[in-house]
Amino acid sequence: MDTLAHLMAGLTAALSLQNLAFALIGCILGTLIGVLPGLGPAAGTAILIPLTFKLDPTGALIMLSAIYYGAMYGGTVTSVLINVPGEAASVITCIDGHQMAKQGRGGTALGIAAIGSFVGGIVATIALVIVAPPLAQVALKFGPPEFFALMLVGLCLITGLGGRSLLAGLTMAILGLLIAMVGIDPVRGAPRFTLGIPSLYDGLGFIPVVMGLFGVAEILLAIQQPRRQVIKTDLASLLPSREEWRRSIGAIGRGTGIGFFLGLIPGVGAIIPTFVAYVFEKRLSKTPERFGHGAIEGVAAPESANNAYANAAMIPLLTLGIPSSPTIAVLMGAFIVNGLTPGPFLFQERPDLVWAVIASFFLGNILLLVLNLPFVGLWARILHLPYAYVCVCTLLFCVIGAYSLQQNAFDIGVMIVCGIIGYGMRKIDMPIAPLVLGLILGPFLEKSLRTSLEMSAGDFSIFFTRPLCLTLLVLAGIVLVASALRLQPRQLREGSTT
Amino acid sequence: MPKLTKCLSVAAIVLAAVTGAARAQQDFPTKPIQLMVAFPAGGSTDIAARIVASIAEKALGQPIVVINRGGAGGQIGWTELVRQRPDGYYIGFINLPATNTVILDPERRAVFTEKDFTPIINQVLDPGVIWVRADSPYKTVQDLIDAAKKSPGTIRAATTGILSDDHLAILMTEEAAPGAKFRLVHLEGGAAQFKEIMAGNIDVAFDNVGSIVKRVQSGEVRALAVMDDARSRFLPDVPTMKELGLPTVISSSTRGLAGPKGMPAPLVAKLSDVLKKAMEDPEHVKKLEEQGLAIKIMIGDEYEKYFAETHSKAKKYTEWAKNRPPM
Repeated sequence: MDTLAHLMAGLTAALSLQNLAFALIGCILGTLIGVLPGLGPAAGTAILIPLTFKLDPTGALIMLSAIYYGAMYGGTVTSVLINVPGEAASVITCIDGHQMAKQGRGGTALGIAAIGSFVGGIVATIALVIVAPPLAQVALKFGPPEFFALMLVGLCLITGLGGRSLLAGLTMAILGLLIAMVGIDPVRGAPRFTLGIPSLYDGLGFIPVVMGLFGVAEILLAIQQPRRQVIKTDLASLLPSREEWRRSIGAIGRGTGIGFFLGLIPGVGAIIPTFVAYVFEKRLSKTPERFGHGAIEGVAAPESANNAYANAAMIPLLTLGIPSSPTIAVLMGAFIVNGLTPGPFLFQERPDLVWAVIASFFLGNILLLVLNLPFVGLWARILHLPYAYVCVCTLLFCVIGAYSLQQNAFDIGVMIVCGIIGYGMRKIDMPIAPLVLGLILGPFLEKSLRTSLEMSAGDFSIFFTRPLCLTLLVLAGIVLVASALRLQPRQLREGSTT
Repeated sequence: MPKLTKCLSVAAIVLAAVTGAARAQQDFPTKPIQLMVAFPAGGSTDIAARIVASIAEKALGQPIVVINRGGAGGQIGWTELVRQRPDGYYIGFINLPATNTVILDPERRAVFTEKDFTPIINQVLDPGVIWVRADSPYKTVQDLIDAAKKSPGTIRAATTGILSDDHLAILMTEEAAPGAKFRLVHLEGGAAQFKEIMAGNIDVAFDNVGSIVKRVQSGEVRALAVMDDARSRFLPDVPTMKELGLPTVISSSTRGLAGPKGMPAPLVAKLSDVLKKAMEDPEHVKKLEEQGLAIKIMIGDEYEKYFAETHSKAKKYTEWAKNRPPM
């Protein structure tokens, strides 16, 4: 049992006082981001990357992962108490969660959400432990042509599923690829699109770009949102009654399963699993009329799905190096900044690090349960903070963070310009996800394409004579055609707004 | 009279400046020294740099702060290095011949030349090595060359990047064995080479001893030859190209410290003296040996001469590489 030995070693590393502290800080910061309406997990993770610069890579990645799944967790509080999702994946929780709060059962809603999230997160992490090593082994056999095709499939999925219009998605994906080309050509070494500016020789920094596209843009949007009233509800009784337990257990199990499987598919995004889990529960229920009026299953299922998704989405990242959502792309950026490229390689080269990070997911989920059950009142209070101060502080933090990347004021400018662009794109409803994915996958896509062609001495048939590569390319084509013909399920289309 | 006063005051200022500068050099260093590494934190240049810095700063009496300016194959960091004042408070690692090929490749449009550096001391010389998978049909360099002559341009040979020392080594091999032609595949580094060789996407890899020594020792891969004057201590059973009758194939990757051009000789001497002692420290020797990195200390004229020789050698092969069809 090689895996078990690795996992135990990872657990030991993750349990060191230092790493445990990083996980705790990450969970607290993540929950805070989740609670604050307007600031999503992608924005939060991007903004907080500079915080981890001085840490060793293991600590940095443990903390950033904790921020990520902490944010996925924390959004519920806001959904339940003010009927505004703290982050997009908690949209569906608003429906029954807020109703429960109005009926004075807010505490129970938050309690079951925390428990459901815990179960979803732990089960998905166990599945990750089982699935990831063999998948990474298979992926190690992939050559450059296969990786090229695989990344193309990922990009097509995200483009196809990512918005209302395939044209808009493709435009943004290509824009992302073009931005990724700024800097020194990875093979020939020639500068491209640098306009003679030395700061551009190493390309536009991924971190300042996403800090702008998500962080700054989301703050700008949040300023325009009307303030909502925080509902007064009973937060003392967190644990569900026996009857509520009975209703929830099945919902949590099904939500976990749905979240896990959808988490494996790049491009699905964080919202769709919650929608699917909710609709599935409603269809299955003998009393569907209770949904929308405070049905506890309507909170339990999507919240479990949300967290199962969040942990399962780490599988394509860690085993294949394919980020399946913008937030995961930001996390991938954090890996790269730390000098580590996620993918099958990492399992082989740095098993100590990968397994410490995976093991920290278990601890993180336990920490989150503790943070969310007894301290839920504290998080609710944060909602009373005057938003003006929160916005200004966050912006200030962004500026300091962008500068601290390389002590280069140029990065601050990049971030602010990207913030304005990101704001504008949301206003005209252009999807950001394909752009970010194009941006992060661009260098890898280009490298594998060019290495493949070097292998074949410039002959493109290398992509069509290798069976696995051909299969993947056909799959990419099918995804694009299907989304052009709008063949995907209606829920997917409606759900995928971020 | 006013004229005389003026003259005197000018003389006084000049005198003050000269003695001040001399004292500054004598007292050097009076503040922390920045040591630039043109590669990200955690890489092998960075790790070795931090070991040297931690030992040398004790002797120097001032902290040596390692700063990473990674990107563009070192070009970003070197650009920053040559722009500093040559006062000894900002020095950096240069990697020969990578620094040379960045200068020599017109496509790179580097803003510095070989004359913009003051070489201080060389730390490591990591010889090139040719290696294949353990079950490869190529048992010797001769097998490889025969195959590359029989069907030119079909044997996929991996470098660790365009115009890396490994790329130049392939060209040297082709030069020494007329008729042999390899198909060049530029990969990002040793880890990528290992993966593609094991998956059968690449036939032979050109890299340096330090990055493959553990895998040769474990039997995962087979080293065919080392491209140095003498055998590597870490791979005593592997012949040199010289022994195999290809004496012109000598290639290595070195790293050492340099400052911007115009550093005063006493400063260079002081730094090279302190750094030499740090590199001879048992802790430094032991840690580098664990990584399979051969320490090769060169200072003063010896290092300057090595820099110049490497540059002219790199020039020949860079021009050749730019004109060679990729196959």
